[in-house]
Amino acid sequence: MADELAIQARHLVKAFGTRRAVDDISLNVPRGAFLAIFGPNGAGKTTLLRMLATLSRPSSGTLAIEGVDAREHADQARDRIGLISHQPMVYPDLSAEENLLLYARLYGVADPEARVRELLDQVGLLHRRLDPVRTFSRGMTQRVAIARALVHDPDIVLLDEPYSGLDPHAVDVFDQLIDQIRPGHTFVMVSHDLRKGFSLCTHALVMARGHVVTADSKDALDFDAFERLYRETVGMGVA
Amino acid sequence: MADSQKKKRPVPEAGQWPDKLLVPVLVAGVVLTTVGFLMAFLYAAPVDGAEVNGFQLIGSKLVTHRQLLSQKIFYFHMPVAIVSFVMLIAAAYYAIRFLASKNQRYDTCSRVAMEISLLFVIGTMITGDLWTRFEWGVWWTWDPRLTTYLILMLIVIAYFVMRNSVDDPERRATYGAVISIIAFIDVPICMMVTRLIPTSIHPVVVRQNGMAPDMTITVMVCLVGMLCVAYGLYRLRFRTVRIEERVEALKEQLEEE
Amino acid sequence: MAQQNRQRLALKHPSTFAQYRTLLSKDLRQEFRTKEMVTSMGIFAVLVIIVYGAALALTAQSIDIASMSGGLIWALIVFTSLTGLNRSFSHEKEQGCLEGILLVPLDRSVIYLAKATSNFIFLALVEVIAVPLFMFFFMTTVPFAPTFGMIVWPLLLGTIGMAGVGTMLATITANTRSRDVLLAVLFIPLIYPLLYACVTATTAAILGSAQWMDLYTMPLVMAAGYDVIMLLACWVLYGFAVSA
Repeated sequence: MADELAIQARHLVKAFGTRRAVDDISLNVPRGAFLAIFGPNGAGKTTLLRMLATLSRPSSGTLAIEGVDAREHADQARDRIGLISHQPMVYPDLSAEENLLLYARLYGVADPEARVRELLDQVGLLHRRLDPVRTFSRGMTQRVAIARALVHDPDIVLLDEPYSGLDPHAVDVFDQLIDQIRPGHTFVMVSHDLRKGFSLCTHALVMARGHVVTADSKDALDFDAFERLYRETVGMGVA
Repeated sequence: MADSQKKKRPVPEAGQWPDKLLVPVLVAGVVLTTVGFLMAFLYAAPVDGAEVNGFQLIGSKLVTHRQLLSQKIFYFHMPVAIVSFVMLIAAAYYAIRFLASKNQRYDTCSRVAMEISLLFVIGTMITGDLWTRFEWGVWWTWDPRLTTYLILMLIVIAYFVMRNSVDDPERRATYGAVISIIAFIDVPICMMVTRLIPTSIHPVVVRQNGMAPDMTITVMVCLVGMLCVAYGLYRLRFRTVRIEERVEALKEQLEEE
Repeated sequence: MAQQNRQRLALKHPSTFAQYRTLLSKDLRQEFRTKEMVTSMGIFAVLVIIVYGAALALTAQSIDIASMSGGLIWALIVFTSLTGLNRSFSHEKEQGCLEGILLVPLDRSVIYLAKATSNFIFLALVEVIAVPLFMFFFMTTVPFAPTFGMIVWPLLLGTIGMAGVGTMLATITANTRSRDVLLAVLFIPLIYPLLYACVTATTAAILGSAQWMDLYTMPLVMAAGYDVIMLLACWVLYGFAVSA
């Protein structure tokens, strides 16, 4: 069972003083699953995702990424994780190719040039690879961000509100790309958008005030029931 | 796929045994400092200042030197300066412990120590400035010690300015810890640099080698007294902050239930 | 799960030095493209020189200028560095790039060393322009001491220290409100010892009096000591500051 899990978190806590952004959360994400994390602002979703991304150290609890202890061997865990955030994390004055080459070299990809071309082709930006990212539209920049997150071929892709600021067309393109890379990858997405997230996910989790209020595989739920459940639980959490 | 269980949350503790010492230490500190103050004027012998022309009758005594009343400031200036640096050491020590553990308690310790340090640094600046005014007849001089304490004061103020402009408490604490450690390293270097570099511009302070026993005793009494005062203030302030945190935590817990 | 045995891309971890080079060349390439830091620092340096022109209008005596020039050059350098250091993390923050770098398995101190090196290069570049400019405007009447060339060493040590400490502080202030002011408030007191040592050594070299060595060597040793201690401290503490 354990080696089937992409992410295994036990009693994760992120606390500072009395404030607990994430309060005792345990997660098992099987390989190939798509977990969507919902919740109101300040529920601790982003803090949880940052811990999964090894950007933030848990105050207590254990976290295993693909069977690797992420606290002891953060560098090994980092090789398996890609993060697509609402911020593209690319240098606007460098070209798309230079940005990807930078990350490919930092990760130590065997043949950086070939890998970068392959990715640029995949996200459909090969023809603009030499233009600075500053001249790109928001949607194109987000495509570069996808390529950036995948440059080291991670097993787990983390998505932090990836749709914010994208127009409908860019959202479609984004979804297609995610569909393409879906096989063989595990996804964890943090989102406000219930409908969107629910349509993509295989598992859903609702957080409020640092706790898990609902967690289930999607098979057990239809959207209306889920939405009702979300409103109830979150409403309760806010009171 | 996820499970979470309610557990009893720890609340910041406050009012441990050192708090019982608070009042006696504070009282002892005040008494010792007062005793030191009296000793400075009644016990310690006046120090000779500038030489006068031949013999002169001052205050029905025949002397060869002008007697320095302003020298009495020294008995307060030096202990205050030492205490402020001791508090800076404490702040840096707790900063290191904070970085190692990320325990908010140490951040509070470090911050409170910085606050007390600021208090004593300002005391140092005031007494130091009085000294320069009466001993050398100028309001300010770039004397190594004075410069170092001016820099120390600016760094401590900068530390609090920095804390005020960061919102996230953990980030604020981490940055505070980093700055207080750097400050602790920087201040002795500053002292050395300003002292060891020879310069023709700055007045050279001539010091007699060693102090007379009566002076040493007076200084020690003042020093111990002020250390007690500093410790008492530190505990008092720490206790207040800690209790505030405790109340905050209990409030939150009640809300949740 | 059918796909779990897919072919993974082979990753060969680059050496620390290779990562350092990659990060440094990224900074240099970016600056080469935008010329943002060097231009803003260069313009600022010229403006400071103009202010000096007004401030020193009545100090016609060349002897006055000679004994003040060390201090004036360093005041110019400190304020110019501040404008540059303030900009050095704006690119990293703008699109969340620093986070992207933190996601990569690399030692945090490599980020520090790369950034400090690029800041050093930009500061040195600006000094190469600003110091001769200062001399052109103010020091043409001053007879050159034979020891004049020795100002290179205090300039070098001072720039290393300022780039090192400045990079650390700029990382901290990049995440704060009112970051420009805060950087100055932290930077100037913390580099005061270095500044003091470098001004003394520079002035000694410019004046080149009979005992200039006394006033030159000791400050230089002090500046070197400051650089070593402070850079080590920043190097150790950087991981905490950048991940916070």
